Amino acid sequence: MPVNSPVSNRQHQFEALVRGHSTDLYRYAYWLCGQDALAQDLVQDTFLRAWRALDTLREVGAVKAWLITILRREHARLFERKAMPADDIDDFELPDPQAMPEHRTEESALRAAIARLEAKYREPLVLQVIGGFSCTEIAALLGLGEAAVMTQLFRARQKLKGQLGFADQVAGVSEP
Amino acid sequence: MNCLEFRRRLGSEPACTLDAYVAHRAECIGCAAAQSRADEFEMRLRRAVGVPLPANLADRILLAQTTTLRLDVRNRRRGFSALILAAAASIVIAVVALNRPAAEMPVLAAMVNDHLHEHIVSAGEMRVAVPRQDVIDMFAQRGVTLAEVPAGVNYVHKCPAGPYKTVHMVMPRNGSAVSVVYVVDAPPQSRADFRHDGTFGREVPMGGGTLVMLGSSRQGFDAIEDAWKSALGSGVAEAGVAQARLAGPAVPQAGLLQGRSRVAAP
Repeated sequence: MPVNSPVSNRQHQFEALVRGHSTDLYRYAYWLCGQDALAQDLVQDTFLRAWRALDTLREVGAVKAWLITILRREHARLFERKAMPADDIDDFELPDPQAMPEHRTEESALRAAIARLEAKYREPLVLQVIGGFSCTEIAALLGLGEAAVMTQLFRARQKLKGQLGFADQVAGVSEP
Repeated sequence: MNCLEFRRRLGSEPACTLDAYVAHRAECIGCAAAQSRADEFEMRLRRAVGVPLPANLADRILLAQTTTLRLDVRNRRRGFSALILAAAASIVIAVVALNRPAAEMPVLAAMVNDHLHEHIVSAGEMRVAVPRQDVIDMFAQRGVTLAEVPAGVNYVHKCPAGPYKTVHMVMPRNGSAVSVVYVVDAPPQSRADFRHDGTFGREVPMGGGTLVMLGSSRQGFDAIEDAWKSALGSGVAEAGVAQARLAGPAVPQAGLLQGRSRVAAP
């Protein structure tokens, strides 16, 4: 009777983790640091740490939040070493719009607008859009109050719409 | 939930699934239309945030992980044979150390050097300083308590060197990397500077063990040695220091042999 060793089970679990979450994690890392190469390093370091700490993962449903937390710590370590300014659009390596012929004008304009957002607005927005996290979950991840997160998300969208000149039906609605 | 509350929530969490939110949308035509417009914007937003992915991202992560895993397993296996070799190696070290010329690589340092040939630290692994706590923990696992942590440890790992237990670190100094390996359980060595096959090195008895530094030049050795003396507290064999500094070979010009390094290119 074939017997799966704990190591191979652990390896399979890890592989599923990488295949299931590397996409979202890379995109989150990219919007966190604004650089493709650095984002790739961050994701790789995150998964290596996750591998070492895999036994501590108890709640499979919370795995994405767990990985995001590890990635944020890895990113914070970079900050400890040297300032990594990513608030300025000039620091962002935005994808070449020519590489995406369809929707390129609107998409690249929106990407530039997201890059221009202050980190405090951009990060919760990216967590929500990429990770599908609720305001409560984002608040827990960022160590903020839920009301503060709601305000940041509201302002982030307002700023984006304002920059792109989108007609906004929520104009006139005060912040939460 | 009234319309104002709904619109506030819509502006911050358009995919909200709260019962009150869903119920209001179902009964208010204006808010339902606002939700449709918001959904359109969210679709654009998702497209924009979804930047192109690097090719084979998951495969490359898995490759990096399996490489690390293989290294860990190999290091563990070596631990068994290390016990058997320990006694024999101690005798060899004692005999050879007594007879070697000053500038040749000491046996313990040679073991460390061999280990560094096998354990290549990638540039990515040593880009930034590791947290102080990681260094403290790594030494603690080797049974060594640090009084402080020297600044600029960019890589730390428990490794074997021959039969001995070590803490393997990388400390970049002035643009080149210095491999700093603290050997915990080898018999005390005398202090020595050496140069072998383009590698500069220094072996210093310190805190009950031996600190071995290897690099493409001796630049930074003095500062690193001083920092680790403070970190490892008492027990530093100061007696041989002055003598070894006098007897050691001339320090080469900084910047020479910069290409020689144990650190892999990215």
